[in-house]
Amino acid sequence: MRKTALCLLSAILLLFGLAAPASAYEPVNIVHTEKVQAGPYNVTVGFSTWPLKAMQSLDFTFAPDDGITGKAGVVMLSLGEEREGERLARHPRKREVWGLDVYSLPEPGDWTMRFDIEGPAGTGTGELRNLKVMEQPGPPLGLSWAISTIPLFGLVALIVIAWRRTRRPV
Amino acid sequence: MDLTASVAAEARSVPKGLVPASFVLGGTFLSLVGLTWDIQWHSDVGPDTFFTMPHLFLYSGSAVAGIASLVVVLMTTAAQRRGQRTDPIVGGRAVGVFGRTFAAPVGYLISGIGAASFLLYGLWDQWWHGLYGFDAVIASPPHIGLLLSVSITMVGAVMVFATAREHRWGLFGTIGSAAVLLSFSMVTVLGLQALPRGTVDSVDVGVAFMSVLILLMGAGAVGRRGGALAVAAVVAVLQAVFWWFSPWAAEVYADATGLPVRDYVDGVPALPSMIPMCLLIVAVAVELLRKLPAAVAGAVGGLIVTVCAPLQTSLVYGASLPDTTPYVFTVLLGTVFGALAGLLGRRFGQMLRHLAPAKETSHA
Repeated sequence: MRKTALCLLSAILLLFGLAAPASAYEPVNIVHTEKVQAGPYNVTVGFSTWPLKAMQSLDFTFAPDDGITGKAGVVMLSLGEEREGERLARHPRKREVWGLDVYSLPEPGDWTMRFDIEGPAGTGTGELRNLKVMEQPGPPLGLSWAISTIPLFGLVALIVIAWRRTRRPV
Repeated sequence: MDLTASVAAEARSVPKGLVPASFVLGGTFLSLVGLTWDIQWHSDVGPDTFFTMPHLFLYSGSAVAGIASLVVVLMTTAAQRRGQRTDPIVGGRAVGVFGRTFAAPVGYLISGIGAASFLLYGLWDQWWHGLYGFDAVIASPPHIGLLLSVSITMVGAVMVFATAREHRWGLFGTIGSAAVLLSFSMVTVLGLQALPRGTVDSVDVGVAFMSVLILLMGAGAVGRRGGALAVAAVVAVLQAVFWWFSPWAAEVYADATGLPVRDYVDGVPALPSMIPMCLLIVAVAVELLRKLPAAVAGAVGGLIVTVCAPLQTSLVYGASLPDTTPYVFTVLLGTVFGALAGLLGRRFGQMLRHLAPAKETSHA
């Protein structure tokens, strides 16, 4: 019993020992920036990958020139009827600026990023237009879904077999 | 004296089949805990890597269930090769796999296939994240593949316990494993978000369908008055415990890893709030209507779930109620799918009852 407990403990320690170096969270590396003038606020929009591709997640950062202290607001991403809005919150891995972490845009096209900011200098609105998002990488989505729903079809096949063999009530 | 000792030892020993069945159920429970923790982590804290604690729970859940299933299959195969009679109380009748290379009790075969499938979809998920980044989207194709794989293991767990439904441990295990499957399925149905957006809320309809299906299946497998109510009661307990656990675990883990909680976190436990709070009412309706055709009980269940869904969202998140037209259409479709789920659920319950070994007559 004691040996089993020791083995189990060693396995757990080994597991966490190996997991610890791999669990380091990646820093936010901005590779491209754009400028947006939202009323009195000049905002630098940072992207951790460029160009953008549909469904590919990245880190966005939003940095007003004089910092985020005392300011609040909303960022709205839109493409035609599609709209996604978020309150401007600090980026979890870059707390000195606002941001969206591992965030993806679902469709290709020319997106608009709109900022509504309130701060000591009053309110301001500004847009980054024609933010080009390219086609999604990888296989067509239909194929990905077909591969991913194989277990469901397997389950249906099991049900069909079981259905045929269990007609008699028990 | 020897006889007395033997009888006493027999009385103290663990019932045959209970140990591996408990490992499979324990594995599925670990997966459920990992899932609620992981969803809350992404909602409240954020960053993702392959090796997070919630992920370890998810992986180890499938690993525990898979290894237990494999051990049972290997032991059954070895026993058959020695010409020994295998007891069908352990996971049901053994079926040949790869010709007659392996003899696998059908319940453990299904739970094992689910665990093996989880491994394959884990690789698919890693490839996906390499291409698309570590997005925290539940309804991505590989995530749905992973969730479906775990669901298959959970179906195997229900089968393993339903085989022993004549025993107390089999009865309780059937109720518990059905409750775990029902709770987990509330996340799997989010895959319906991939359907084109229309007038109907496809996720609400999916929640109604799966809730009714598993409640009636569990009740049918148990085959006693109060079966649906027992499954719903266990789901309610899981919902209550996870309501406390999920935000707490996310915050404790964030503190341990030195990560901040996001700004403007709403504090709502994500997975527990996907489970219909009206499930006990649905179960009461199913119990009261058990003498009527299953479609009637199912339709009533689907109606209750889809009527209550926006009310629950409004209560929990403070969201506004939907417009009348999509609401009415969702309720109508929920009722229709509830009726279908009722029919299927009762039939699935009957299928599960077939798994139990036939009773031997006393004069045989």
